[in-house]
Amino acid sequence: MPIIEVKHLTKEYDLGSVTSIKDTLRHTLAKIRGKDTWQRERFKALDDVNFMIEEGEVVGIIGHNGAGKSTLLKHLANITKPTSGEVIVRGSIAPLIEVGAGVNPELTGRENIFLNGAILGIPKKVIQSKLDEIIEFSGLEQFIDTPVKRYSSGMTVKLGFSIATSMDADILIVDEVLAVGDLAFQRKCFDRMEDMIKRQGKTVLLVSHNIRQVERLCTRTILLNHGRLTLDGIPKDVCNAFYEASDKQILETKSSIKTHRNESNGDIEIKSVSTHNMAGENISTITHLEDIEFQVTYQVNKTLPEPVFGIGIHTTDFFYLSTSQSLGKLSPGNLTPGIYTLSYKVRNFPFLPGIYALRLGVALTGSFQSVLYSENVMPIKVIAPDINRAMVSGPEEGFVAMDGSWSLISNELHNRHSTILSG
Amino acid sequence: MTNIAKNLYEYRELIAALAWKNIVVRYKQSYLGLVWAVLKPLMLMLIFTLVKSFVGIETGEIPYPILTFAALMPWVFFQESASEGVNSITSNTSLIKKIYFPREVFPLTAMVTKLVELAISFLILAALMTYYQMLPTVHALWVPLIIFYVMLVALTISFFGSALNVYYRDIAQALPVLLSLAMYASPVIYPLSLVKTKLIDEQAAGEWSETLYTLYTLNPLAGIIDSFQRVLLKGLAPDFNALLPGVILTLALLPLSYIYFKRAENWFADII
Repeated sequence: MPIIEVKHLTKEYDLGSVTSIKDTLRHTLAKIRGKDTWQRERFKALDDVNFMIEEGEVVGIIGHNGAGKSTLLKHLANITKPTSGEVIVRGSIAPLIEVGAGVNPELTGRENIFLNGAILGIPKKVIQSKLDEIIEFSGLEQFIDTPVKRYSSGMTVKLGFSIATSMDADILIVDEVLAVGDLAFQRKCFDRMEDMIKRQGKTVLLVSHNIRQVERLCTRTILLNHGRLTLDGIPKDVCNAFYEASDKQILETKSSIKTHRNESNGDIEIKSVSTHNMAGENISTITHLEDIEFQVTYQVNKTLPEPVFGIGIHTTDFFYLSTSQSLGKLSPGNLTPGIYTLSYKVRNFPFLPGIYALRLGVALTGSFQSVLYSENVMPIKVIAPDINRAMVSGPEEGFVAMDGSWSLISNELHNRHSTILSG
Repeated sequence: MTNIAKNLYEYRELIAALAWKNIVVRYKQSYLGLVWAVLKPLMLMLIFTLVKSFVGIETGEIPYPILTFAALMPWVFFQESASEGVNSITSNTSLIKKIYFPREVFPLTAMVTKLVELAISFLILAALMTYYQMLPTVHALWVPLIIFYVMLVALTISFFGSALNVYYRDIAQALPVLLSLAMYASPVIYPLSLVKTKLIDEQAAGEWSETLYTLYTLNPLAGIIDSFQRVLLKGLAPDFNALLPGVILTLALLPLSYIYFKRAENWFADII
């Protein structure tokens, strides 16, 4: 029998603020007389969601902001009730919906351990016996008798996580809590989570924006999109689909971003930018390690003595990844007014799959005075040569892959030779 | 009703922990600490005694200060648990939105907190009784039952009020005003015997006198305060005629109030 069953779960919220008593009375009276046509605007946070979870499964829930992930968890934790549909949970739940929800700033760390334990339904005896372990895990031995209001935010979260994970529940609900504390503590949390999953065989529901984490921990992943369950399957496939959708969204919003630098003195303008493959065809996406060519068409309005061209690539959050400039490689001489097309060929395009952007610059040789500088000129979408993109992507894996070649040979024959020689 | 008792037992550790938190947090950084809890009835007792010295209220052979203190104890306990209870849901928003446990834990906790403060008041009462050389009789055994009855009355208001307060914060604003009015409608400053003499013996309101008296005792606090004074100070059994109308009213309203609370509970996290 599945430990969690969600059947046709729909949750609607009223939009706008709560109405006054007067309005409520008027509408109630009108409803009794059967002629109330008034209706508040409603928002579907969850729309006919169906799934079942068996005991011991580790399920990741992913989706964009506002997809309904937290609303779903709130239903599972019985904090709110569905508008229609049914949620059946067979077992006790430890909700880590927000670590430290019950932490009181006036109480000391030790007092908070007992209070939070009681709130999470852990018997006092169990807390008593686990007290040392909890304090040790939190790493707050020195501060445990200091009021929490004097703690840093990171310390508060450490305390909350240590208490919450000491609860012995059948189902663990985790909402974005692993992204807390310093790196060392994150590591500890992660290990404890893995221990609960792998060794204790607990059922876990994990909501995270860290897709790699979901991929690594989960045995199954659910993708929510605007309150609907769009995909349910093995993490790799679902995560890949989510990556695709996110990339598309970044591309779409790209053109509307106006925060980037864009400077020009008017002597030279960018007319168009395009990417081509070696066959000369215009392409919209670049395959990792493909040979490509960028073409930039400039309109020169005033004679430029010995210009130097620059071309570079940055991430969507303006982290510069590469810069190349034409000094010593291209001698254009005095550039008279007119239209020119600059070509820059790249062999084995080294960037890993993801979304990047192009930046361009033109400066004068002698003074290095900039005459044109523009960021975010064109989005660059890089895809993997094979379908399994999750293998090689994500910021954790870096941005570039060297174009090397591999080989592996056995050293045994060689070793035997040396033994004989030395002997 | 049995549900309340069941939850009270099942969640006793949680209620105890939350009540303990309330008390610790309230008095942690104060020098006088728990003394503040008993300062309210003490101050009111002094003021009433002062007022009584030039207004003249017939109180019988019991000294007025101890009589009014014995009236203030159940009254302040009722008043504070009701107003704390009504605010208990809205003041715990972060818990309501994050973790589930039966929501009646909050009003119950508010009451348990006040029970501790009431216990301290008993020490003051004991001191007063020693001073006036009064000894409690066997009828003092009624006290726990009377306190339990006060709790039921306070819960009736807490359940309904706290649930409604989630939707309309007017409730928490209106409650202090209503409660201070209710104090004058209860035998706190004056004894119930005064009302009884006026209405029953002297028939001050003519043929309406009996009805008015029943109406007056419909206020559960009338019976409660009178009984509290009788069993502790006068060494008499409670006056069941004065208790009955209030008991009936409370037993009729408490289940309704609780049902309303449990139905509203489902939407607390969405509305609050």
